Amino acid sequence: MSLISNALMSDIIFYVVAFAMVATAVAVVLAKNLLQSAVFLIFSFIGTAVLYLLLHAEFNAMAQIMVYAGGVVIFVIFTILLTSHLGESTLYVKLPRTFIALVISAALLAMLVHFILPAQELVTSTPTAGASYASLSAFAFRLLSTDADGLVIPFEIVSILLLVTLVCAITIARKTKEEEDK
Amino acid sequence: MTLQHCLILAFILFAVGMWGVLRRRHLVGMLLSIEIMLNAANINFISFAYFKAQDATAGAVFSIFVIAVTACEMAVALAIVVTMYRRHHSLDVNQLRDLHE
Repeated sequence: MSLISNALMSDIIFYVVAFAMVATAVAVVLAKNLLQSAVFLIFSFIGTAVLYLLLHAEFNAMAQIMVYAGGVVIFVIFTILLTSHLGESTLYVKLPRTFIALVISAALLAMLVHFILPAQELVTSTPTAGASYASLSAFAFRLLSTDADGLVIPFEIVSILLLVTLVCAITIARKTKEEEDK
Repeated sequence: MTLQHCLILAFILFAVGMWGVLRRRHLVGMLLSIEIMLNAANINFISFAYFKAQDATAGAVFSIFVIAVTACEMAVALAIVVTMYRRHHSLDVNQLRDLHE
């Protein structure tokens, strides 16, 4: 009895979160002001983190909130404030352009759903993963183990990639000598 | 909540992101839409890892790498945005056709 109600509960949470994610994503696309857009994006990312928790991927949910909602979006907001005046609305978009873009993406969505619907095994599949497959300790041991299926080398490569891109970003964005003289 | 529902949610988010990329004229707005699309790809990874994978933790690790590479991409892209604004005083993609010069 309690198991059935648990499944029903997670179903209800899934549909609520899915609706909220799609609604905030549409708000990101349609918002007149880019700052509003960025704030809606934070809510969309938090919804994604809740979805990850429903799929028992706790580490991913944490990384989602820390990296996306905490890092990337704040970075975007800084850039918006640096490159435009506060409260300035975005560039005017003509209606035909909005409509054509909507038709193209709706056609893509219709095609993808059309191909995914006949696959019965997607509907009936039960979770194969154990309940704690991506728990923090399993994740950490996997990420840093030096066994054959360990992932320590990709982990180190990603850390070097982060360092290199941050140095590159600073090099691109800093002022050159001529610009400083002006 | 089946795998099909998760995949359809990811497809809807991907389509919304594509709508934004095609619709926006502002560079930062396009970047925000690209974030939505990458997020949809991550949802695919996680839901396949939960429902289908033999080795589920490896599937979940994959999306961590996607998140890290996305952070790198945003750092470089926003640096380019700041530089472009300093040079052209505009972030309208329709006016940025002289990049080859």
